[in-house]
Amino acid sequence: MADRYTLRLPALEIRQGSRRIYCFAVDGKKMHGFAAVSRIHRDEEKNLQGYQRPEVLSHIRAIRRYLESDGAMLPNAIVLAFDRRVEFVSHGPTGSVDYAVPGELVIPVDETQSDDEKPAWLVDGQQRSAAIRDADLAEFPVAAVGFIADGPAEQRSQFILVNSTKPLPKGLIHELLPETAGHLPPSYVRRRLPAKLMTRMNIDPEGPFYGKIASPTAPDGYIKDNSILKMLEHSIFEGALFQYRNPVDGSGDVDRMLLHLRSYWKLVQQTFPDAWRKPPRNSRLTHGVGIQAMGFVMDELTEDMPAEGVKCERVRAALQSLEPHVAWTSGTWKFGEGDERKWNGLQNTPSDVHLLHAHLKKVIRRAGVRI
Amino acid sequence: MKFYFPDSQDLVSPTYDFLSDEYSPTRVRQRDDLYAHEVVGSQPYDGILVSKAIVDGSAKGSGKYTSAQRARLYRMGVRRFFRLPEGMESLGDCGAFNYIDEEHPPYTVDEVLDFYEGCGFDAGVSIDHVIFGFTPAADDRDVDPAWVDRRSISLNLAELFIAEVRQRKASLEPVGAAQGWSPKSYADSVQQLQAMGYRRIALGGMVPLKTAEILACLEEIDAVRADDTQLHLLGITRVDSMAKFKDYGVTSFDSTSAFRQSFMDDRNNYHTRNESFTAIRVPQVDGNPSLKRRILSGTVSQAEAVVAERECLKRLRAFDLGEADLDDVIDALAIYEALANGPKKKSYIDFYRRTLEASPWKTCPCALCREHGIEIAIFRGTERNKRRGFHNLTVLESKMRELDIA
Ligand SMILES: [Zn+2]
Repeated sequence: MADRYTLRLPALEIRQGSRRIYCFAVDGKKMHGFAAVSRIHRDEEKNLQGYQRPEVLSHIRAIRRYLESDGAMLPNAIVLAFDRRVEFVSHGPTGSVDYAVPGELVIPVDETQSDDEKPAWLVDGQQRSAAIRDADLAEFPVAAVGFIADGPAEQRSQFILVNSTKPLPKGLIHELLPETAGHLPPSYVRRRLPAKLMTRMNIDPEGPFYGKIASPTAPDGYIKDNSILKMLEHSIFEGALFQYRNPVDGSGDVDRMLLHLRSYWKLVQQTFPDAWRKPPRNSRLTHGVGIQAMGFVMDELTEDMPAEGVKCERVRAALQSLEPHVAWTSGTWKFGEGDERKWNGLQNTPSDVHLLHAHLKKVIRRAGVRI
Repeated sequence: MKFYFPDSQDLVSPTYDFLSDEYSPTRVRQRDDLYAHEVVGSQPYDGILVSKAIVDGSAKGSGKYTSAQRARLYRMGVRRFFRLPEGMESLGDCGAFNYIDEEHPPYTVDEVLDFYEGCGFDAGVSIDHVIFGFTPAADDRDVDPAWVDRRSISLNLAELFIAEVRQRKASLEPVGAAQGWSPKSYADSVQQLQAMGYRRIALGGMVPLKTAEILACLEEIDAVRADDTQLHLLGITRVDSMAKFKDYGVTSFDSTSAFRQSFMDDRNNYHTRNESFTAIRVPQVDGNPSLKRRILSGTVSQAEAVVAERECLKRLRAFDLGEADLDDVIDALAIYEALANGPKKKSYIDFYRRTLEASPWKTCPCALCREHGIEIAIFRGTERNKRRGFHNLTVLESKMRELDIA
């Protein structure tokens, strides 16, 4: 193919107030021929040029792998800002609406141009377009939206607008995760198993957590989902639940994990029924600090036990030995000489979790249960 | 002659994807990862050395272990935590180099023995304090009083240590640490440690010494050494002199140098029985600080660097399969090297040519070279670099084995 040619793309012109935007499709492999990915840098006169950060290569790799997988789809549009060299040629109005007109976008392409000479700038979709460019595919058409900008300042403000949308609320993500299939970003893949376990715990009528974990679909729950997730993640990666995990794909034997969790936390509930019933503001047991510290105790007491053996006298005795030394709902924690805290003086911080855990561990050990 | 490998949480991930250079998103560090003794096929060392300072952190900062890993080490014990095969030994020490700037070692005898016993080590070294200097002719009156101090601190702690081991009826073998600044002072330390009852003695602080200086010390020590006293050299390899060391009663040593050369040495990265080769640097565009700076400043185009990086990997792999010409590979490497380094730094291209011409991984019997081929010779990211280090350990092991037969 020649270095210089004209790209004519079927497009729809949409009127938004006094502005016009253009919806069209373009082969992502060809996009870098006419669209610049500008980066923030200072030119020789120290003026601000461009408006984007460098590509995040790990992110691009992840998208690229997805694109090369079967059935990959990129439904959200790439956003481009054109300069005045790009033209829309109308085919005249059709249909019953007057705000959308079919036609053609005419883009002059010169592949020898340097970035700052190109007629289009990528406002949104930098990582996606780089992934398409790098992917081992002959062609990958994407949906795109373009507008003709008055200059770099307008492009910059569009860039900020497009990229300042709010991320999804965490609680919603935790509920959606177990029910997702296919490709997910790595940080979500890691959280999928804990989220799945948490969801199951919350709907297990025989389990001590039944309906108690706060989530969009369990509005009466009072235990924070984050406390549970942290406890589960720790146990899956470093503690008792690790034994059920498949190191090759990171999946796990969810049923036995649930049995393990149900058996241990049922004993916790039976040992401290009052503290278990109360919300975190009235009980440090259902508070993040208690859930996590008791999770560590679970890992230590049951690490070598198969799920079927967790409900046993040794674990029950260990938990009962804690009774005179806990202050879940009233009184004071006595951590040692001169280190006393009011029952609610513990917070959900790593140091308080550590302090509480060390205390519980010491009590159990003193009672003669091997940890 | 036994070789111990000092632990510094050096593992490789078996699910790492070399083509996309990515970890599995669900990987759990340490637990899913593998130690050298789990991946190279043969047993690459006779034991591991674990320092309290590495596990617990020290004055200099936190250790290499997360608190969860540390708790698990105490809970499972050293054998299960490191998944040590039958017959492999474990030796604990304090990691004296980590507190070299302190006036006094930061641990008590009780703490250290708790660590050794809690983790279930086979043997443990008494607390010592490194003397960083060597003045062969000097005696107590001529040297820095701090050195005299450090030697007597080490000896006092060794005495307390063996007493406590006996008191607790601990099952671990006590190893006395000898410090010194001269053959005489080392020999005196050994003599005193023997009098306390030690039959295994670790010689510390010798890392900076020349081989001749080490030999001079060993010779002096030999004059006072009981027949059944075994010596351990802390942090020393010197394979060429091992036969002589052995004659002086050295039965074990530990060292990371063969491993670390794979990514720390300027040129000697990949070892074979008789030679060493330079690994081929193909840094990751987003992982190389100098290249990153050049991209951010606009000197180098990121897209161009990505293309050059990929071309290198593509041609190296093709070369390994016999599908690319050596000169084409060298061309690609030269282009990327120029982009990554700029004009100032020196070129490694000639060394790469030698490495590629020899292709030593093709004849290496270790499991890693067989599995990964040319990837192991590429200087790039921790997964390749550590595998190359593990390979080096197998080479060292085979040299040591040969020595024992001789
Ligand atoms: Zn090898």
